Amino acid sequence: MAEKNTLNAYSLDQYQVGKTNKVVKTLIYIGLVIWAMIDLFPIYWMFTFSLKSNEEVYGMNVMGLPRDWLWSNYQRAMTTGNMPRYFLNSIIVTVAAILISLIAALMATYAITRIIWKGSQLTYSFFMLGITIPIHASIVPIFITLSKAHMLNSYWSLIVPYSAFSLSMAILICTGFMNDIPKDLDEAAKIDGCGLWQTFGMIIVPLMKPALATISIYTFLQCWNELMFANVFISKNALKTLPVGIQALSGQHTTDWGPIGAALVIATFPTLLTYIFMSKNIQESFIAGAVKG
Amino acid sequence: MKLKKVAATLLASAMILSLAACGKDTNSGSGSGSNNTDLKSEKITLNMWCIATESDSNRHSYEEAIKEMKAEYPDITLNWEAFENQSYKTKIKAAVAADELPDIFFTWSCAFLGDFVNAGKVYCLDDTYQAYKSELPEVMMGNSTYNGKHYGVPLTMNIVGLFANMDLLKEAGYTEIPGTYDEFIACCDALKAKGIIPFGCAGSETWCVTEYLESVIEKSVGADALNDIFLGRATWNNAEVGKAVDTFQKMVNDGYFDPNGISLKNDEVKNNFMAGKYAFYMNGTWNCADFANDPNFFPKVKVAEFPVINSGAAKLGQLIGGPSDTLAVAASSKNAAAAAKYTFELGKKICHYGYLDGCGLPAWTPYGDTSSVNGLTQAVSEICAKADSYVLFGDTAMNADEANTYLDYVAQVYGCQIDGAGFIKGLSKDIR
Amino acid sequence: MRDKIYKNVTIFFFLLPALLLFVGVLIYPIFMSAYYSFFDLRSVSTTNMPFYGIKNYIELFTSGSISFWKALGNSLLLAILSVFLQLPLSLGLALMLGKGIKGERAFLSIYFMPVLISTVVIGQLWRKIYNPDYGILNAVLSLMGIEGAMPLGGWLGNVKSALWCVFIPTLWQYVGYHMLLMYAGVRSVSPELREAAKLDGATDAQVDWYVVIPCIKNILRVSVIFAVTGSLKSFDLIYVLTEGGPLHATEVPSTLMINMLFLRNRYGMGSTIAVLMILLCFAFALLISAAFKEREYYGRKKHT
Repeated sequence: MAEKNTLNAYSLDQYQVGKTNKVVKTLIYIGLVIWAMIDLFPIYWMFTFSLKSNEEVYGMNVMGLPRDWLWSNYQRAMTTGNMPRYFLNSIIVTVAAILISLIAALMATYAITRIIWKGSQLTYSFFMLGITIPIHASIVPIFITLSKAHMLNSYWSLIVPYSAFSLSMAILICTGFMNDIPKDLDEAAKIDGCGLWQTFGMIIVPLMKPALATISIYTFLQCWNELMFANVFISKNALKTLPVGIQALSGQHTTDWGPIGAALVIATFPTLLTYIFMSKNIQESFIAGAVKG
Repeated sequence: MKLKKVAATLLASAMILSLAACGKDTNSGSGSGSNNTDLKSEKITLNMWCIATESDSNRHSYEEAIKEMKAEYPDITLNWEAFENQSYKTKIKAAVAADELPDIFFTWSCAFLGDFVNAGKVYCLDDTYQAYKSELPEVMMGNSTYNGKHYGVPLTMNIVGLFANMDLLKEAGYTEIPGTYDEFIACCDALKAKGIIPFGCAGSETWCVTEYLESVIEKSVGADALNDIFLGRATWNNAEVGKAVDTFQKMVNDGYFDPNGISLKNDEVKNNFMAGKYAFYMNGTWNCADFANDPNFFPKVKVAEFPVINSGAAKLGQLIGGPSDTLAVAASSKNAAAAAKYTFELGKKICHYGYLDGCGLPAWTPYGDTSSVNGLTQAVSEICAKADSYVLFGDTAMNADEANTYLDYVAQVYGCQIDGAGFIKGLSKDIR
Repeated sequence: MRDKIYKNVTIFFFLLPALLLFVGVLIYPIFMSAYYSFFDLRSVSTTNMPFYGIKNYIELFTSGSISFWKALGNSLLLAILSVFLQLPLSLGLALMLGKGIKGERAFLSIYFMPVLISTVVIGQLWRKIYNPDYGILNAVLSLMGIEGAMPLGGWLGNVKSALWCVFIPTLWQYVGYHMLLMYAGVRSVSPELREAAKLDGATDAQVDWYVVIPCIKNILRVSVIFAVTGSLKSFDLIYVLTEGGPLHATEVPSTLMINMLFLRNRYGMGSTIAVLMILLCFAFALLISAAFKEREYYGRKKHT
């Protein structure tokens, strides 16, 4: 990214470019609206069938709003489907993974970008390998190790791999942000008698606040969705994360659309609502990641 | 009264069959603990996994049996979880590998359980079994016996049944399920001419395809030949099997199967059958329970044996199936001895209620009043009473790797990517 | 001297958590995978596994029931589709939004929405959308007067259509992701530059093509890398939608690997697939970098 633009690069404030031909503008609108419909319609449909009985789903009322609003579908998803538990598990695992990868990334990035030493660039490249490596590739040895250590079926069996897999991206983003902090600050701190640890804790970390949101979003996207590890490592109902829980639930009610729909909605709407209220912040942080990286 | 007799003859006929000697060479096994556990005085928690999900026919029998167990043994807490059939196979294997088995787990007998027994993960039930010998005939334990040791408690036994929607058959001018293969094919053509799809089959679960294919092969080459192949006593390189596969594929190519079935799950196909979308549905006789529970559908459905295709090698009375649904106890269980005893008691009750519900024929000697068993299940026991040989489901009879190779080729046949010759050639190359 | 030791020790401690995680969970297991791939490992007990040489590799490429070639081809096709369908679509939306249109923010928010939905939810939802009997896709098509568009076997059941039907939800989910990245790039192109081009008489399309796109090449490269490696790694959606079926029509290496591990108990073979997946991802990352570098080089040459 061009250096001079970094400031407005990730700000979404409005600005207007030129005058565009009216016809072109209408066409653009049509295109944008069509895609917006394509995005929204499945979500709307998911919501409607979550409230319908099988008769309505299978019958004539495929697309419309439900005739009888069957909230009992939600009750079933919550009680027999155990959705609140899965949601909580997902939150625990994701938040823990975000915290760990955040701390590890901040520390590592500090050592790489703020301290001058020979191997720093090499270390950075080493960590960047993680961006391309498919995480699935390590599942067999991790599975074998965990099973020998009887560590399967625990939050840690997911938290540790998840933080490791998020690490490369976190370091990448951290580096972008940390490079923007003027080096003079370190010098000033050194003159004031701060050691490396103090400089890190008192000066750098507080200045990295914007980075935290960005890293959290990227890590969230990675961990919240993860299915393969969670599916293999977790078999206890009480520890299942949302993806695994939904998979299990849908296997149990293949032909019962309502409760599945309800579970899907329960899994989706808290995230979407949070997003709607914070969409600008979330988008800006997300973009910052790309620009800084 | 009649039923009891049927059940008795069934058991007697099962005796002669020596139900597939599954135990190849098993070198490991876990020692069994002492048998002097009095369940009533135990205060323990047991975990159990099974496949009796809410849409599963067996759900009710599990619920009833567990309720009764709870009343009888109030100090034992049973936490049970049900998983969907196909994903359970992955789940249970992962758990075995991880040594994370629950105390009690559902398994299919023969090679499926055999893999776990070989790995030393299953608790030997020999000692506990002594107390149940009179209620659970030894022959029913055959499929879960390895090296002469018992590792599983059988629940129900099932065969593949040819279910028919008689209303639809009537539309095509048939009042009975045709008894010979030529008539059967004529019937399918008549159905097709009326715009009725003859068969429903869930292509996304290959075991459902085998329910059809294995019957066709068995009725072409005979039970013994097929059994020998499944159990590794003969190779797949058998031209007759190839021909039988071609017969099956011709049915697919002739449009007898619902083309949409290939992406459906079995539950969806079963639903469609009950909704009157297909004339025939070949699947395990555990489905009798679901059919009997639907008052609209039940009067329409009949069950029969698949007709003989090549009378030179096969005959009526040769069935696919056997006692496969089994409960086993994990060797790693902290309360293995108690769990074993509990499993026998529970298994007996699940079998009892499963039989009453029509989920299958009892592996245990029936007790209590069984006159309420639905007519469809009664018809199945009559078929079984006349049977003289059983071939266990192929994917149960083979070990995991071979079974999946086999299923893969079956899927390729169903998808018409290979023909019978390709099937036997591929399997004889890839297996052993 | 003591300062130097102190500094090195500090560096080490700063790096320690990240190194532990990274090496312990990623690098070391990958080497173990490579090691296991030479053994006939059929359980988690690694004490007594028979050495297999490259037999796993040979079986993988020759077996009639594993179809690794098919899986490889599928993931390449998915990568190609992402780059040549998904990214242009994202770019188109980003450019259109970048024009400063009314309701820009609302569009942006809507487009990004699917990114935040769990892949499993999306998979389950699309399973229902594609359902041959009661799915919404058929209903919508028949509403539009298109009957009988569904291929034989159902959307996900037809060997020819299944891969496309698996790709479409991916597209649906990730267009917003790439769109937002590109949009940020489009926005960062200085307005003066655009104005200048417009004053020179360039049309909107020309401004986009000659001014905006070259400016956001870096972002495009990131998007291409993400899209390609993403396709090579794809698992969740395919696993939920088809589990690789019908007849391996949507099989990718990762679904094949899970199948090997937990349906067939072939841990050695699973490792073999893992190793090949890593090689593939690296090869492609290098290829893409090289491709973009090449262009850059020639581009610069032309202008000087």
